[in-house]
Amino acid sequence: MADPKIERKVSILSHESMKVIGESVGLASLPDEASYVLAEDATFRLKLLVQEAVKFMQKAKRRKLSSSDFDFALQDQNVEPLYGLSVPDSIPFRFTSGGGRELHFIEEKDFDLTEMISSPLPKVPLDVALKAHWLCVEGVQPAIPENPPPVDQEEQKVESTRATTHQKPIINPKQDKESEKDRVVTLLNKAKEVAKEVKRTKDILSHELSVEQQLYYKEITEACVGSSEPKRAQALQSLASDSGLYQMLPRFSSFISEGVRVNVVQSNLALLIYLMRMVKALMDNPTLYLEKYLHEIIPAVMTCIVSKQLCLRPDIDNHWALRDFAARLMASICKKFSTSTNNIQARVSKTFDKSLSVEYAPLPTIYGAFAGLSELGPEVIKAIVLPKLKPLSERIKNVRESSLSSNFDKIAAEHLKSLVLKQCSPYLKQARTGPDTPDAYIEDFGSIGSALCNQVQKLRSQPGLTANKPTIQIPPPRQSPLSSGPRTPNSASPVSRTQSGGSRGSMPRSVSVPGGPTTPTGKQTKFIVMSSIPQNSKSSTASVST
Amino acid sequence: MATTMEVEVKKEPEDETSVEPLDKETLSAVLQFLKKNNLKATEELLKKEANLEAGSSNGTSTRSEQDVSSVLSAYQSEGDPSMYETNYKNLKHVIETALDSRKVEQTQLLYPVFVHMYLELVYNGHEGAAVNFFEAFRREQEDYHQDDLVQLSTVTKKEHMRHSELIMNLRSSKYVLRLSRDSYQSLKRQLQEKSNNIVLNILQEHLYIDVFDGMPRSKEQIEAASGGMCGEAKRKANKGKMSFGLLKEPDINLLLDDEEEGGEGEDKPKKKKVKRLDIKKSKPDPNAPAQNRIPLPEMRDVDKLEKILCFRELSKRVHLSPDLLPSVCFYTLLNANQGLISVEISDDSSLLAAGFADSNIRIWTLTPKKLRSIKPADVLQELEKEAEDVMERIMDERSSADCKLLVGHSGPVYSTSFSPDRNLLLSASGDGTVRLWNLYTFSTLVCYKGHNYPVWDVAFSPFGHYFVSCGKDRTARLWTTESHQPIRLFAGHYSDVTCVCFHPNSNYVATGSCDRMIKVWDILNGKCVRIMTGHKSTIQKVLFSPNGHFLTSAGEDSSVMLWGLRHSNLIAELKGHTECVYSLSFCRDGNVLASGGLDNSVRLWDVKKIFAEAESEDFTSAPQVQHNDSSKLSLGCYPTKSTTIHHLHFTRRNLLLAAGAFSSSS
Repeated sequence: MADPKIERKVSILSHESMKVIGESVGLASLPDEASYVLAEDATFRLKLLVQEAVKFMQKAKRRKLSSSDFDFALQDQNVEPLYGLSVPDSIPFRFTSGGGRELHFIEEKDFDLTEMISSPLPKVPLDVALKAHWLCVEGVQPAIPENPPPVDQEEQKVESTRATTHQKPIINPKQDKESEKDRVVTLLNKAKEVAKEVKRTKDILSHELSVEQQLYYKEITEACVGSSEPKRAQALQSLASDSGLYQMLPRFSSFISEGVRVNVVQSNLALLIYLMRMVKALMDNPTLYLEKYLHEIIPAVMTCIVSKQLCLRPDIDNHWALRDFAARLMASICKKFSTSTNNIQARVSKTFDKSLSVEYAPLPTIYGAFAGLSELGPEVIKAIVLPKLKPLSERIKNVRESSLSSNFDKIAAEHLKSLVLKQCSPYLKQARTGPDTPDAYIEDFGSIGSALCNQVQKLRSQPGLTANKPTIQIPPPRQSPLSSGPRTPNSASPVSRTQSGGSRGSMPRSVSVPGGPTTPTGKQTKFIVMSSIPQNSKSSTASVST
Repeated sequence: MATTMEVEVKKEPEDETSVEPLDKETLSAVLQFLKKNNLKATEELLKKEANLEAGSSNGTSTRSEQDVSSVLSAYQSEGDPSMYETNYKNLKHVIETALDSRKVEQTQLLYPVFVHMYLELVYNGHEGAAVNFFEAFRREQEDYHQDDLVQLSTVTKKEHMRHSELIMNLRSSKYVLRLSRDSYQSLKRQLQEKSNNIVLNILQEHLYIDVFDGMPRSKEQIEAASGGMCGEAKRKANKGKMSFGLLKEPDINLLLDDEEEGGEGEDKPKKKKVKRLDIKKSKPDPNAPAQNRIPLPEMRDVDKLEKILCFRELSKRVHLSPDLLPSVCFYTLLNANQGLISVEISDDSSLLAAGFADSNIRIWTLTPKKLRSIKPADVLQELEKEAEDVMERIMDERSSADCKLLVGHSGPVYSTSFSPDRNLLLSASGDGTVRLWNLYTFSTLVCYKGHNYPVWDVAFSPFGHYFVSCGKDRTARLWTTESHQPIRLFAGHYSDVTCVCFHPNSNYVATGSCDRMIKVWDILNGKCVRIMTGHKSTIQKVLFSPNGHFLTSAGEDSSVMLWGLRHSNLIAELKGHTECVYSLSFCRDGNVLASGGLDNSVRLWDVKKIFAEAESEDFTSAPQVQHNDSSKLSLGCYPTKSTTIHHLHFTRRNLLLAAGAFSSSS
């Protein structure tokens, strides 16, 4: 309920509006006194009408008062309702002022008839349909898409913050049968108990999955890392939208973590990408709260960003896209879960910073760290990235110019350069004012300065850039054909690493245009990295054409 | 009586605009005053002087009393608007310094006195003083009065007063309070000592104090009963006898055997026995009304068949208990976003009717059996009437569909109700009419006009033939399907009658209203036999328990209340919902109550134990408020994603059906 005093003052029609309305019906000069009396009377009547309209709203079982309710209230008082005001959502009044008057009016747009006639007909609205589902079966609410998730994010959040340690969820089969509220209460009580009696041994963690859940887990993991792209899309869709996954989350989390560990060793790029897409799908699921599994997920994602080697042919394969994708993923994890207690963002950026600071760190690692940092936002770019630019540009320059450096290194340097250009220039455009002179940039950022300056100038000249999603093409890895089915973490054995320089030198330097490296292999798998972050078309490093 | 009531109710604010000269009005008021106080000589003298005929004083006495009393109060309080604040403070002081046992009771006075003081100030044109007075003490009033206070606050001028329904109610009827004799006497004494005239006058003119002997009531008891727009129910209103038992089941044993031949399977003999026992066991309820107290329609063969089917289904039902909870099947209406207003499921759970804001009604079949209409008349004529399968042959196969549309109303359809034989459907609409639809032809049979204002609810009698409707005109009306005039008119609510329900024995009707009262009416004589107060906001649903001994109600205040009909006492208040509750349903054996509403959740309550306690309880003089922990009675809460629960219905086998419209944007 509103404060009465505020209510009194706000909700009285002004006498000026009475005058305006008077004018509109032909009363040229309404005396002041009359307008005051009218304003009060009109206010009272309006309030009465609203009170009546509320009854119609309640009977229509709605929370919001609609203009039709008001019409009914008018009708009830034997007043002609206002025609043409039945808008579905908000009130169609616009405000304007001019000539010392302030006015509200109804915006009426002109419609071009020819255009309306020639345009295709709008879709016919769907007819009302009746659909049945089980809200509850003998007192237990089944976890089906029609029902809300058994434990929603907020409660999972509460639970994870209340738990004393990085404890995995204690889910007893008994609790499943209890109602949702009871479950939360018991969990809370449990958390309290744990806090109180530290001595007492913890409950044995039991993750009993039903047969259906086990089947589901198997199907989903197989589809996620299998060879069939449509199946994978379906599986990821399921991970991103299904509501009953809460109990399986620990399994998925360790699947991902183990999978990354094994496949990094094996340099199996495709599988790493699939796993990252799984992380993304789980992140997108509105019913899951991943906080308790971050200790497994963050290292996995981190590995995919900064690992020295992610694929067997670093000169040809597009592991850069994986690094970009994982970096974005990391940024969204930080955004979602970072709090003052867990300090995720600070810890993550420190890790990146460390790998940037290491002298003679491999270029892919630097690339990954750089990508990870720059995704974290302008503040991080300003504080960590920019100071590092000068030594970085020196290194890039050295690699590019030195005849000793390998072809792979050169490609890496090229990538790094375009990444710097892409990520730093929007920030610089904001942060730096005045004319962009190459000299000033070179002064500040080393040899990369001139290119940066160019880029910033370009950005300034074309403000609105269209966003598009990058398309990556990744050649299938040689050693592990995708058709060989899913890899379970246990079955995979470590394989000795192939040296990064092993297959270099097949590509002339002139080919590597800023658009990105080309991959000469004919057989290619094409996929689209699901990404919600808009990319600048100009500088998307990932698009590749054959 | 009913007709005079009707006149009073139908009198619209617009009709009262005939403003008489004020002096004549005051004159008559003075005359009234003189007459009241037996000052005959002065009266005669004044009459002579004013040239009034003797007859006209009678005429004026019929004028609604509120004018008179308001004029009187205008005279008495003239000139000192500042006195009100001091007098109110004085009253507060008196109450605060009273003994603890009395204090609680006397606190009840504060709200009505406050309201009437404010209205007097407004009436006398002290607008500024009125607003100041209002703002000074408004916050101190109980939370559940704040809605009314918002309404009051809009009225600051005398001319506006007669437009407010709430004020007209407060002025025309006395606010009812219950006080123990002890508290009342001491309060009155103290007020007289301090010559607190304004308060005393209000006590005299606008309040009805129902004094009782015995212990003062506790705070909880008072809170549980307060909240009504015009105070509590008078005690004597609930003294009348009410026959709330069930009627004797009709004797249909013979027919049962016939039917059984056509029935299924081997275990026929066993079944027969069970059923016979069932029927024999039901001995006449001592509280049951005479079988023919209300003339009920003769049972047709179809009805008997239906009854047998019902018995058979009931015998197969799940006996619900806290250990065995029901399953809930949810019917979601998709793409109906804001349009759906009411849902109703037929007693045998085969049909679902939905009323929409666009005036349409849709009927769905919930069984594989399709909805079919009968063939046109000229085809029907050619059919052989004696044929055994004539009922099958009159149906038009080509018209079979899962959903039928009924078009006819010109306003939102607020409620629908199936007849027990499922051949007829009633619908109540915002256009002020009730329509009777034939479900063979899917067309209107009768359009009952009478309410003239939106009709909020309609319900068929459990035996058919009768139905009751209620609406914005503050009345509920009883009709028979064959007459286009109502046969009873239940008037007495102070505001819209929002919901209505038939007692299982068809002798009574319960109504819930915006004035936060529940009234139970006797169909036989149209009298109000029970009044329940305690809801703190508009009541949206009332429902009798299957055994007829209890009533449950729910509304905007998001609590569900259970009432005993014997003493009209509150048995339990079930709290748990967070928003308005629109739907209630008892399981067939009456052990479990389901409730659902705007907060998108279905809740189940265990009511078996508290009902048993309430039945066995030896009743003491003061109505007991049971302190039942609603969390203990709660059996479960099942939220939907984003679907408001419009209707709940237990099938004969105790499967709970729920229905609502999915709204994509919450």
